[in-house]
Amino acid sequence: MSDELQRQGRTLQPSGIFQPAVIEDIQTKAETGLYRIRGFGTLRQRRWATFDDLTFLPCSLTRIPLEGYREKCSTATVLGKRHASKPIRLDIPVMITGMSWGALSYNAKVALARGASAVGSSNTTGDGGMLQAERENSKTLIYEVLPSRYGINVHDMRRADAIELTIGQGAKPGTGGLLLGSKVSDTIARQRDLPVGVDQRSPARHPDFLGPDDMIIKIEELREATDYQVPIFVKMGASRVFDDVKLAAKAGADVIVVDGMEGGTGASPAILQEHTGIPTLAAVCEARAALEDCGLYGEVQLIIAGGIRDGVDAAKAMALGADAVYIGTAALIALNCNKALYVDDYQKLGTEPGFCHHCHTGRCPVGVTTQDPELMQRLDIDQAAERIASFLRVMTLEVQMLARACGKSDVHDLEPEDMAALSLEASAICGIPLSGTRKIFGI
Amino acid sequence: MGEVNCEGRSTQEINAEIKQQIKKGATEILVRNPGARHNLGVAILERVTIRLDGSVGYYCGGLIDGPNFEIAGSAGWGLAESMMNGQVVVRGSAGNGAAAAIRGGTVVIQQDAAARLGVSMKGGTVLVAGNCGYMAGFMGQKGTIIVCGNAGEAFADSMYETVCFVGGRISELGTDAVVEQPSGSDAEFLDSTLAHHLPPDLRKSKPAGRDFKKIVSGRKLWNFDKREWKTWQEAL
Ligand SMILES: Cc1cc2nc3c(=O)[nH]c(=O)nc-3n(C[C@H](O)[C@H](O)[C@H](O)COP(=O)(O)O)c2cc1C
Ligand code: SF4
Repeated sequence: MSDELQRQGRTLQPSGIFQPAVIEDIQTKAETGLYRIRGFGTLRQRRWATFDDLTFLPCSLTRIPLEGYREKCSTATVLGKRHASKPIRLDIPVMITGMSWGALSYNAKVALARGASAVGSSNTTGDGGMLQAERENSKTLIYEVLPSRYGINVHDMRRADAIELTIGQGAKPGTGGLLLGSKVSDTIARQRDLPVGVDQRSPARHPDFLGPDDMIIKIEELREATDYQVPIFVKMGASRVFDDVKLAAKAGADVIVVDGMEGGTGASPAILQEHTGIPTLAAVCEARAALEDCGLYGEVQLIIAGGIRDGVDAAKAMALGADAVYIGTAALIALNCNKALYVDDYQKLGTEPGFCHHCHTGRCPVGVTTQDPELMQRLDIDQAAERIASFLRVMTLEVQMLARACGKSDVHDLEPEDMAALSLEASAICGIPLSGTRKIFGI
Repeated sequence: MGEVNCEGRSTQEINAEIKQQIKKGATEILVRNPGARHNLGVAILERVTIRLDGSVGYYCGGLIDGPNFEIAGSAGWGLAESMMNGQVVVRGSAGNGAAAAIRGGTVVIQQDAAARLGVSMKGGTVLVAGNCGYMAGFMGQKGTIIVCGNAGEAFADSMYETVCFVGGRISELGTDAVVEQPSGSDAEFLDSTLAHHLPPDLRKSKPAGRDFKKIVSGRKLWNFDKREWKTWQEAL
């Protein structure tokens, strides 16, 4: 409201339907003739059940807690025991998700690799292949095989510690990747075999398989290419999770990654981020139920992604059935995303620190999601790696704190019974009693 | 010449045996009775010739870098997918997604190729002596596709810099595909490539280089632009 109106004591009544943001959206589309593309993930105020709709029930008399500083609470995480001769062994259950070199700057990629390795976690490549420096700085590196196959290289694949066959992402299930021309620099174009400056789109489907039956053979091919040593992950955006997870498990995946609708992205059509897929909380519950249904819970490991902010979200995801979590956006924020530095440059993008979702522009003020050499310089690799390591350590401590309070000597022993629901929806979705009722709603 | 008999053995055992023979110094290996098994000869990274005396299943020669494959029969889906270098020759036909995402090397199919030939190619050459199916060249980034016979619908759809040549009819061009007049050097390239890769009798029955159509990207989809709304509407 303008100062003048306030002085006059008048209030404005916006339309409940055509709110100012909707008006701006329609007029922008009318001017540009294009649908809106941006980064970051959903901007909606979440009115659906989230991890915040759950609370832990620490021990009192019914269960006995562990001593915080004395009694061990293991965070060791093993992924890919089902078929691989060399499963991944991590010190913590919080991993860095696949974010492409192209979406991210070189400095960001190397900092993530170094930071994750410092705390015994893993890092993942992305849509664009493996960066040499990423391999050199990663103790455990997961190699993504995406529909586009940008940068696909069998030698890199064979240097990886796991392969992730990506079917989709939570921010935009059912569609391919996107990297706008401002980020397709000489180097990125060379790495991806593309013309410089194109608005790069990735196919939605893999070029050489379509459904789950073919995927069985594809997974065997990847095992042949890596001598049956490393685990094969299958990553999917959360849509029909119950059926999709069963199909992936039956196709032979060692590890299944489910990325909920809160999942981040470097660039996607805005409507896909806002209106496709199911929330991460619902996704983890369906994924667990699917693995239980086909008798593979515990044998196939589950990684959950999409809007994981801290150790609390991670602990809740694990209590609901995840073996580990992936973080993307939270890691970028730890790198400096949305920090109040170079404020003028946020303003040039039409935003402010704390509100930025402009990764698609390639003009990231803090050097995280840019290919501009000057902007990239703003991210000091050593310091950024240290921040990633610290953040991962804190997340792990938070998970351990909750696990100990619930009497668990291993964070993987957290279970649904360790929580109560704070809303009817969460009770129904998670099959957990609503606090104060001892009733599970919806069954 | 080394020899591997597939009968009664799993893919894993067959591939392990091929790799073992390469390690021991074999430069030519005959793979007998492949029985259309999937994943034969995946990720071979040495300069070796592998002859398969029958048909193969999915992903034969997938993820290779360097070897020569000669397949006496036909091939299933994803022939030579993501190959980096080498040569794969199929005497028969190939299933969906042959030469998908290859980055280099040459794939020769002496009969027909099914749908999605050379999808997302990043380099290399694919030569089909017969016809190809739906959506060949989709999102091709670099490299060359040569189809001596007819091409199916949505040919060369949404391409970046792959260049396609077709000797016969094209059922339907894909979004943003445009037909160009081949240059003199294109015709020379086609004549020499066909002469080099096809047996003389087969070459004789194919059109001359100058009679091929050349198909490239119209570049209307390279950057989002409201003036190209109609093209985008078809592509998305
Ligand atoms: C900048 C950025 C780039 C991404 N690039 C890829 C990618 O190349 N491949 C992929 O599978 N997912 C990609 N993602 C999605 C992440 O792997 C992951 O699914 C998602 O970020 C998880 O949600 P979160 O960001 O809320 O943690 C990207 C995400 C971001 C934020
Ligand atoms: S600060 Fe950079 S990484 Fe963060 S949202 Fe803005 S552009 Fe993206």
